[in-house]
Amino acid sequence: MKRKTSPILLVVLALAFICQGLLQRFEIFDHWVKVYNPGKGKLYTNAMSPDQLLAVLAGFREITAGILWVKADTFFDQGNYDAILPLIRLVTLLDPNEIDVYATGMWHIGYNFTDEEQRSDRRYIPSALALGKEGTRQNPDTYELFFEEGWLWYHKIDDDYSNAVDWFKKARDKPDMLPARKNLLGMAYQRSGEVDKSVDTYYRLYEDAVEKYKKESAFGNHQNRDTLESNLDNMLVREVQRGYVAGKENRPLTSYDVNPPFDVGFSVKATVVEPNVIRFEGTWNVLPVGTRIRVVLRDLNYPHAKPAEMEWDCSDNVNLDPPRDQTFMQEQLFVRNRRFNKKVDMSKDPTMYPFTSDNYVMEFYYNPRSAPPHLQDKFSWSGEGLTDKNYLNTDVRKGQRVIFASLPITRDMIKRYGQWVDKTPVVKTPNYAESAPDAGRADDDVVLKIPSLRAGSTGGK
Amino acid sequence: MRPILAIASTTVGEAIRRKVLLIILLIGVLFIVVAPGLGILSARSETTVLKSFMLGVTQGVSAIIAVILTVYMIPNEIERRTIYTILSKPVQRWQFLVGKYLGAVLSLLLMMSMMSAVMCLMFFLQQQSKNVSEIADLMKGPMMYFVQMCLLAAVAIFFSTFVAPLVNFFLTVGVFLVGVFFNPLFQSLQDNQNTVPFVKIMAKAVNTILPNFANYNIQNPLINSNPSIQNEGRYFLGITVYGVVYIGILLILGILIFDRREV
Amino acid sequence: MAAAIETKQLTKSYKARQAGTINVVDHLDLHVEEGEIFGFLGPNGAGKTTTIKMLLGIIYPTSGEGYVLGKEIGDMDVHRLISYLPERPYYYEHMTGLELLKFYGSLFGITDKDKFVALLEKVNLHRDMTKTIAQYSKGMQQRVGLAQSLLNDPKLLFLDEPTGGLDPIAHREIRDLILSFRDEGRTVFISSHELSEVELICDRVAIINKGVIARQGKLTELLKGGRIEITAEGVSEELLKDMKIVDSNVRHLATGFMLDMPEENDPNSVIDAIRGQKGKVISVVPRRKRLEDLFVETVSNKGVKS
Repeated sequence: MKRKTSPILLVVLALAFICQGLLQRFEIFDHWVKVYNPGKGKLYTNAMSPDQLLAVLAGFREITAGILWVKADTFFDQGNYDAILPLIRLVTLLDPNEIDVYATGMWHIGYNFTDEEQRSDRRYIPSALALGKEGTRQNPDTYELFFEEGWLWYHKIDDDYSNAVDWFKKARDKPDMLPARKNLLGMAYQRSGEVDKSVDTYYRLYEDAVEKYKKESAFGNHQNRDTLESNLDNMLVREVQRGYVAGKENRPLTSYDVNPPFDVGFSVKATVVEPNVIRFEGTWNVLPVGTRIRVVLRDLNYPHAKPAEMEWDCSDNVNLDPPRDQTFMQEQLFVRNRRFNKKVDMSKDPTMYPFTSDNYVMEFYYNPRSAPPHLQDKFSWSGEGLTDKNYLNTDVRKGQRVIFASLPITRDMIKRYGQWVDKTPVVKTPNYAESAPDAGRADDDVVLKIPSLRAGSTGGK
Repeated sequence: MRPILAIASTTVGEAIRRKVLLIILLIGVLFIVVAPGLGILSARSETTVLKSFMLGVTQGVSAIIAVILTVYMIPNEIERRTIYTILSKPVQRWQFLVGKYLGAVLSLLLMMSMMSAVMCLMFFLQQQSKNVSEIADLMKGPMMYFVQMCLLAAVAIFFSTFVAPLVNFFLTVGVFLVGVFFNPLFQSLQDNQNTVPFVKIMAKAVNTILPNFANYNIQNPLINSNPSIQNEGRYFLGITVYGVVYIGILLILGILIFDRREV
Repeated sequence: MAAAIETKQLTKSYKARQAGTINVVDHLDLHVEEGEIFGFLGPNGAGKTTTIKMLLGIIYPTSGEGYVLGKEIGDMDVHRLISYLPERPYYYEHMTGLELLKFYGSLFGITDKDKFVALLEKVNLHRDMTKTIAQYSKGMQQRVGLAQSLLNDPKLLFLDEPTGGLDPIAHREIRDLILSFRDEGRTVFISSHELSEVELICDRVAIINKGVIARQGKLTELLKGGRIEITAEGVSEELLKDMKIVDSNVRHLATGFMLDMPEENDPNSVIDAIRGQKGKVISVVPRRKRLEDLFVETVSNKGVKS
């Protein structure tokens, strides 16, 4: 009485099964990966609560992203920055088209992790760049994240400007790029030392702006044209003033230009005044205000370290966990009246400055490309007008003349362990002259009185 | 054919009167109606959130309806003994099962059409729509979800021929979740250099054998309109054929089991 | 007459976890003639519904054979000629009586509305045919069930507990309908444990207990063996002693006596004897055997086969 199964039915069943497998394997899946795969195939981390995960499963990826982002906003208000990181990661995974979250996330990772003295934690920068790169991969059709990535190089890293140029170029080529933002490519070329390209860029933008203003006499178009005109004016004047034109035309440089190179007479002394507190004092023979000398204090073996910076672009993966047992401190030393003197307090932020290994290096670096125009008029874009008896360096940045000095320091010194309990550690360049209070300053120097909003303040501390 | 249609239409008549389903449908419609208010969740991508939410609600509510509708379909007939009056008539078991399934599909079509219509209307009102083609584009979502839900209903019907409703509920939901989740998981396994080859092969096998629900989650390019999709029609055709073939497999298997089953 | 239902050693067994194999229906030999109302009796769990389901092809026998209207069970052609009314059925409540008939009719390919109305008239529901089943009483639901079971003009009807859970008036209505089926020449197979019903309408019965047929036969034959009570006055003690026939009981009353004797012991000779003594016969009351007695006797005394 058992039911019999028709063999034809079984054959049909088997064929159908093979058919669906073939369809899935060879017809559907690759297309799905290309077009419909959310979040590059990554599974959402365990940073979501079960109900949020359920919402995601149910198809509410974008809405969950929205809710999480609102939540991130309250964390911003509370200053709970660590809590925001996983949210940023999650939101961008859930909704890879949330451009604002990518942009805000990059800014947040790059700028918001700071110590008590508002020094930002440079260990995060590769993550910020990586997030931006991911954003550009996910949103290749809009200029925004290309622009943001360029801006991070231009403004935050403030070095290796060719990277900013590359990203701004990519942003410029997107159809939705805002005209006013294209100007930044000219700026980046300039800082990258590619003066001709900068002028070219401005010329082209200027022509476009004139055309556009002719077509539509809106205020924005008018303003953009004027800005470009003034940028071009400035560039042309600077090209002449900084001897760039003379150099190109093989004319001898006059003393009005950046010739002869100016000796900045760099010297520095680092004193560990208290555990994890270092005072940097030194000389810099430039009278006017505006010089910022970079100081980096880092683990001798900090991963991807380069002279006075690191390989910022070292990661393609967004890794929100920087090397937490390593230290990378970067600060600016401001020069006033040929002296700089700054106390760097690293004692209040042990997570940012863990000082776990034994050996450290202090690097001092000056690069005229980041300098304000009045100093660039003296040094030119690539340091043609800059020299130093001891610390001029043409290797650490290709094609540039920069100041670079490197001094070793140990953990015991920084933390004042062992022999340094009673003895103040001092590390200095050999040329540092100890003659208080105006050491290193020639007697006949003029001291500029610089007006300040702060009463009684006239110069370095 | 006549008995199949009679059973299918009766099933629809019953489905549209089931309070549970109507309440779920109503909640879904309500969500879609309030959706335009959720634009505040995103500073400038209001449309993105709106589309995402509407499509998400449509899909989620449809899935719940599909499961609840079909899980109890066969067991209820047995428990209420209606199946005996039907099977004692000149109705083959396969006709009964196919009729029930067809009824489920028609009910889903009805309910999903209703949600989609509300969705269109709300989208139109919110956008003051300049762009009719955008609405037409958006409708691709519910269309593919419909195929997805038909496949889901077939899974539930298949299981209902041999397991109890509660077990069936978890089995079906489980298969659905695995089917939705496995594609991304599978993809990340394939991409990962460190995956053991054996695991890769196993993953490939599972991905090839199980009903793949992720195929129908086509909302990403709809939500963030992406003009660069190629071969869209071919893909839709592909996954529809895939769905129909898989539904056929599940129904035949279901019939084979149901035919041997003592009801 | 040809057999409407014939089973030979029909068996259905289930595997139970502890008790091993249980025969729910155990080598059943059943014979139902065409045109009769056959009562299939047994306590709950005796195997009645299982037997019917096997006959309908809804479940499959473990062993044995069965024929319905001459065809092997499970034959789809037979389904055109039979119908089944399950025990306490449920109908799609959203439908009206008419819609329900339309639905079941369409399973046979019947679309004739007049036929549906006529059937509803037959079960006295034509005034309520636009009400939904949800609004029907239990009796009405059972009647609409009977109406649907007549859709295909069946030769053989299986009715499983047709009067279960109904009030006396509904009982009466259903009973009359079933009797009318016989008048129309249909064979009716009723499974029931409500004996008074069956006794009133069935021609033949089978009593099934624990899967085994205990008795099967014509009701009139099965109920043979009643008793007669004779009450008389003015009869002497001697005569009474003479009249002490096998199996008789004598009870003394204030003015005479009452004699309770088996039917087959000729009551006429007793009455003659009383009269011969100038005694006075006050009453002669036959006490017939009831199905209930037979049933209790059979179920409590299993192994007895007729």
